[in-house]
Amino acid sequence: MYKYTLKRLAIAIPTFFAVLIITFTLTVLSPFDPVAMMMAQFEGTLDTLARDDVIEKIREQYGLNDSYGVQFTRWIGRLMQGDLGISINGQRNVLRMIVKTFPISFQLGLAGAVVTTLLGIPLGCLAALKQNTWIDYTIVGGTLGFRTVPVFVLAPLLLMLFVLVLDIMNVPRGWDGLFQTKVILPVCILALGPLPVVVRQTRAAVLEVFTMDYVRTAKMKGLEMWRIIIRHILRNALIPVVTTLGFVAEGLIVGSIFLDSIFAIPGFGGVAESAFRGFDYPVIMGVTMVSAVMIILTNLLVDLIYPFLDPRIKFE
Amino acid sequence: MSESSDQSSANNLSEELIAEDALKARSLWQDAVSRLLANRLSIIGLVITTLLLVAALFGPYIAPYSYTEQDLMNVAKMPSADHWLGTDEIGRDLFSRVIWGARTATLVAIFTTVISVIIGVILGAVAGYGGALADSITGRVIDIVMSVPGLLLAALIAVSIKQPIVSWAKEIYESNGFPLFADTTWLDLLVVFGGLAFVSWPGYARLIRGQIFSLREEQYIEAAKSVGVSEVKIALRHLLPNAIGPVIVTLTFSFSSAMVLESSLSYLGIGVLPPQASWGNMIASNIGSWSYRPWLVAVPSLTLAIVTLGINFLGDGLNDALNPRSKRSI
Repeated sequence: MYKYTLKRLAIAIPTFFAVLIITFTLTVLSPFDPVAMMMAQFEGTLDTLARDDVIEKIREQYGLNDSYGVQFTRWIGRLMQGDLGISINGQRNVLRMIVKTFPISFQLGLAGAVVTTLLGIPLGCLAALKQNTWIDYTIVGGTLGFRTVPVFVLAPLLLMLFVLVLDIMNVPRGWDGLFQTKVILPVCILALGPLPVVVRQTRAAVLEVFTMDYVRTAKMKGLEMWRIIIRHILRNALIPVVTTLGFVAEGLIVGSIFLDSIFAIPGFGGVAESAFRGFDYPVIMGVTMVSAVMIILTNLLVDLIYPFLDPRIKFE
Repeated sequence: MSESSDQSSANNLSEELIAEDALKARSLWQDAVSRLLANRLSIIGLVITTLLLVAALFGPYIAPYSYTEQDLMNVAKMPSADHWLGTDEIGRDLFSRVIWGARTATLVAIFTTVISVIIGVILGAVAGYGGALADSITGRVIDIVMSVPGLLLAALIAVSIKQPIVSWAKEIYESNGFPLFADTTWLDLLVVFGGLAFVSWPGYARLIRGQIFSLREEQYIEAAKSVGVSEVKIALRHLLPNAIGPVIVTLTFSFSSAMVLESSLSYLGIGVLPPQASWGNMIASNIGSWSYRPWLVAVPSLTLAIVTLGINFLGDGLNDALNPRSKRSI
């Protein structure tokens, strides 16, 4: 068990390190020059003749003339101390921006994952049991639509439907905690994105388990259908569904990037969106790294709980 | 499994074979086409995809106005006879811009798909044929790329390399006046292609690798090897035709997701920038006014939704049609 965990960690940590290298290299390539920004703030107050000397001195002082390796090591060192830098727009502490907004998005994402699971597994099951009937086609075809339709398309269309056409709700805006009615629409929109993957995986798994001998035996013993489904089919079919968790996590992160500004939710996604719009490199780097950590952790979690669910997989 | 059930499945198999013999002999492709056309959803998908390609190819001839032409007497008007889908917040014809947006989306999707297929097939083949070390290295690289959400990575690449590339192009233009570099709008597209291709190749690499590994075990490959057919010939004559089905299916799905990614980047103001028409930037610039000018958001949103839905239906239909083992009969 420990060996297995260590082995999984040994894969996860270098992956994260590689993500750090990619992120850092890309920002080195980027046009973001902190000194030029500083100079812009002191515009007019500095002696213009000595300007180049001043720039050179500042670059020296902040180590921007050092080699790539030295800069990278220093950056990693700061990261270890939780220093993600200062944002360009508004000069705010990036770590604090993320820490403040992340819990909101995490709650929304968790709620979204719960909705996806509670909808996806029964739907996938139903589609498999009614394979090749209109029910199957409707479920598979209907959820397929959400496979790629992005949040920024779904959200305004659903808002128009519910607010303008049906007139059954006010525009849900803001964040007052998870247990509020205005959270329902954003959570459902988030949940719809990863839904088709869960449905398809469940459907395929149930279809596979359905032909197993033990299911046939259970049928022949005369067990009721619902008992067979719960006791024999779902138990085994749900194992592969767990592997979709990483995908669900990615869908939720990407979804929240678009969702937050539409519903005025002060979340992690909103920080990401405004960072991209404002070319705010320190924030972009921070957001990318936190997202990568979330996905790597989710995949690690899947790897770690998988052997518990499927005894055929050894901890080795 | 008991002996009797083995017997019965063998019987079933032979019955199926007899039934197939009774049908007219058809090649794999003829079979695929007839399966595809028998599926109502995939016909809808085929129609939508064809419409998209027509709009993309002949856009300038179909669109009644140019994508920048402003009608200042009719700003933000509801759909009318002059402007079929209305005009946007600065008086541009929405129908024309949607058509031009189709051009952008298709262009990006085609290039991204082609580039990522090339990278994916090469690296997948390296992983499949290059031995254990090459396989584990490619596997690691794929893990790394896939551990960052595709959209975030593509956006990061786009914001980082765009400025250096644009200024580099400007330098070239200033030093030798090469006319290609005078206008840098095509560089926007190039950066988008690059970013999107970088995040989409792992899917293909995994697919190709998996196909190589599973097909290699097949008996007909072994038979070909034992009579001395060369590796290259086996790859071209046996592996490729058998792997092409899943690749075509993946191609369709990644075509629609490339389209969505382009729209997403453009929505965030990183991809295709205004005044160039992209469905993403059309939605972004009007999302704030969805409640009082709903058509400005609804038209590009619905177009994007319908087009991706159509392509996905087609992909799903192809999935059934190209898989000879598919249970869905003709």
